[in-house]
Amino acid sequence: MMTLNTLLFKEVNILPELFLGISIVYLVLHCTFLSMQKSFPLIQNSVLNLGILVLFFVWFLLINDRLDVLSFGSFNNTIVFDYISFSSKTIITILSALCLLMMSQYLSDQKLNHFEYILLILLAVLGLFLLCSSNDLITAYLAIELQSLSFYVLAAFKKNSTFSVESGVKYFILGAFSSSLFLFGSSILYGISGTVNFEEFRDLFFYLVPGETVNPVTEVSTTFSEITKKIMAPNFANTGLNSSEINALITECKEFADPNSIFTYEKFFAYHYLYSAIMDNLMSSGKAFEVTDLPYNASMNEAHLELQSCKPDPETKSNAFRLAWIYLDTIMEYLKSSKCTDFDESYQKNFILSKTSVDIGLLQVGLMFILISLFFKLAIAPFHVWAPDVYEGSPSSSSFFFSVVPKLGIFVLLLKIFHYSFFGIIDYWRHFISIVIILTILAGSFGGLEQRKVKSLLAYSSISHMGYSLIAFSTGTLEGIQMLFCYLIIYSFSGLCIWSIFIILRLKNNYESKGNKDLTDLVLLSKSNRMIAIFFATVLLSVAGFPPMIGFLVKINIFLSSMESAMYFVALISILCSVVATFYYIRIIKVLFFEKVLVGQLYYPLNTQKSLLIVGLFFSLLFLFVNPSLLFLFSYKLSLLVNPI
Amino acid sequence: MVITVQNSIYSVLFLVLSFVSASSLLFLLECEFIALMFIVIYVGAIAVLFLFVVMMLDLKTANMGKDTLKYFPFGSFIGLVFLVELMLIISENFKSNPYNKDFLFNFYTNWYDKIDSLTEIEAIGQILYTQYVVQFLIAGNILLLAAIGAVVLTINTDNSKLNKNQIIFKQLSRNYKNVLITSKN
Repeated sequence: MMTLNTLLFKEVNILPELFLGISIVYLVLHCTFLSMQKSFPLIQNSVLNLGILVLFFVWFLLINDRLDVLSFGSFNNTIVFDYISFSSKTIITILSALCLLMMSQYLSDQKLNHFEYILLILLAVLGLFLLCSSNDLITAYLAIELQSLSFYVLAAFKKNSTFSVESGVKYFILGAFSSSLFLFGSSILYGISGTVNFEEFRDLFFYLVPGETVNPVTEVSTTFSEITKKIMAPNFANTGLNSSEINALITECKEFADPNSIFTYEKFFAYHYLYSAIMDNLMSSGKAFEVTDLPYNASMNEAHLELQSCKPDPETKSNAFRLAWIYLDTIMEYLKSSKCTDFDESYQKNFILSKTSVDIGLLQVGLMFILISLFFKLAIAPFHVWAPDVYEGSPSSSSFFFSVVPKLGIFVLLLKIFHYSFFGIIDYWRHFISIVIILTILAGSFGGLEQRKVKSLLAYSSISHMGYSLIAFSTGTLEGIQMLFCYLIIYSFSGLCIWSIFIILRLKNNYESKGNKDLTDLVLLSKSNRMIAIFFATVLLSVAGFPPMIGFLVKINIFLSSMESAMYFVALISILCSVVATFYYIRIIKVLFFEKVLVGQLYYPLNTQKSLLIVGLFFSLLFLFVNPSLLFLFSYKLSLLVNPI
Repeated sequence: MVITVQNSIYSVLFLVLSFVSASSLLFLLECEFIALMFIVIYVGAIAVLFLFVVMMLDLKTANMGKDTLKYFPFGSFIGLVFLVELMLIISENFKSNPYNKDFLFNFYTNWYDKIDSLTEIEAIGQILYTQYVVQFLIAGNILLLAAIGAVVLTINTDNSKLNKNQIIFKQLSRNYKNVLITSKN
């Protein structure tokens, strides 16, 4: 009782987001008033710690929000609160808090002294939160905009570096382009269906049987049971009924008017199709009839409504059904009279169910636009060209954040659109995705071979990893979704490990502000700091998919799940390419350990806090190899709750 | 007037005038929201952008009045063709009042409309502040983010201003002999 009164906001269901947004506004005010003094105090470190504190509280609110139901929509069903959004938000919070911790040293080294950097990161996290819990296209679009706008500014943050500004502009133009594609695709979807809500999309399209043309009916069945069998058959939408069958159905159905007949479900089903067909006919026949001509029009609608919302006991159901049937009969008599001559053929035409009238082609176009725009955001192969440039140009802390945090949120959106709403037409978007997968993995593996800069190399590595997780995404099975989450979690955490090692190594030379690190900057790291070199090498091997690490397990499970759903060719290509991609990971290791130079580089010693964090990350990855069932069980629960049908 | 005026700033102002008149046409059709959006987007954003561009380009107003007479016959011919086409379309489509044939045509005044009707803006506002309040808040956050980002990318702190100060004496006293030696400021 007492707790409920204190937390009235708990009813709102977006308490973490609300808290984050309000605390961002407070931080803006706080920092502005502090920095208005003439001496320009550098409050950036304190703001960073405040940001971590805010993220910690958000995390606390998140895990404190008990999730009692499978999914719960609020705000007119535009925000949904389910297990997938809950857990992905938790993961995103942890990841971004760790990111903030790791980048603090880098920020003060590079003299990125504006406190706004932290605010922008918090705003991006807010956008990702809303992205995870959005349940319609408008909210998703706004969340993507919030997230990517702050990314553009983060990329261009280092104003005195031309590379950074250039990469910011590049990111901005391509991101705006892809957002416009998203809007275009969602407007097409809205045009087709009249809604933007994911749940309504699912209700509309889940039972859809896509078919191009309607085959003429060959066999004629006359008895009621045969017709009902035909109606109940799964390919009914393609076959339809012909006129003699309909006539037989009508005569059979007439006996419902008799109060002594027995009510069965098949008969109800047949009646329902007849009714909908006749109503369609009334709507679309184009005959200028006045509604008042039909007797009992209003009461027939009432009867139909009663039938639809009727109570489970069979007595009232059959009564309502009989009532409806009587009026239906009157309408048919009216239609068959002289006022409406061409009833029979239009009636038959409409009886071939209205399901095929949904234009799958247009739907596909809309979905493709949305896919392409999200692929732009994920940097997937034909749309990946910006990624190495932007990662290279923007400050390392920003590219750290770009590559680790947002992928999970965008994949949650992809799952919601394509696995939750449009799972019914999976065969229509799967092929496109499998082509994209092959391109992505080829580009990611072969593009990285030439790179000399660490950041571009990591960008290519992230491209190929997005390709692998797309494989799991496009299988469309439960195992696929499970492996998708496994892979994304492992990708994020090992990416976090690699990037943080990369970002906290500070060279001791004259060019302290030199942002971009070549591979040669890491020469013989094993001599100067043996432990971190070993960590770095092990995590790299795990990412490459070498057997004694968790990366191997998730990768092989992805290949297995793709073979289970008969995507042999994709699996073959991606296995071969993963061998190729191992080359550039091993090259880093070679640079770390076995380079033949006399003098290695000197580094500043590491901070205790950060080294503890890195050790923790590394050992959690090791632990997950020893006991991977933790991860697998978690992601299995996630995958079971993606489709609560 | 947009294309005939010599001064480019005047022509941009005439462009604004044409936008405003188009939106006033929309007002007459009772599409208030679209009309206001028209003004906000076209006049507020695009035309002002044009104005800035024109002001920055610093165009010279050359006298091009001589040439206009040369194009007059061709232009008037095209105008005539369009006029004839327009007349044809109008005579084709508006033979009778389409409302008379309509199913919904009603001779009597609909008193509900008179009493209870909302304008478009009111309706949109009522939906926006109730059903889509979260989206409204997110849009506000995006605006806040845009403001923060613009400030960050353009602000000049005192630090950077100091570095950019020009020391004329130092520049002038620099010659090829001491170029390699002067490393200290």
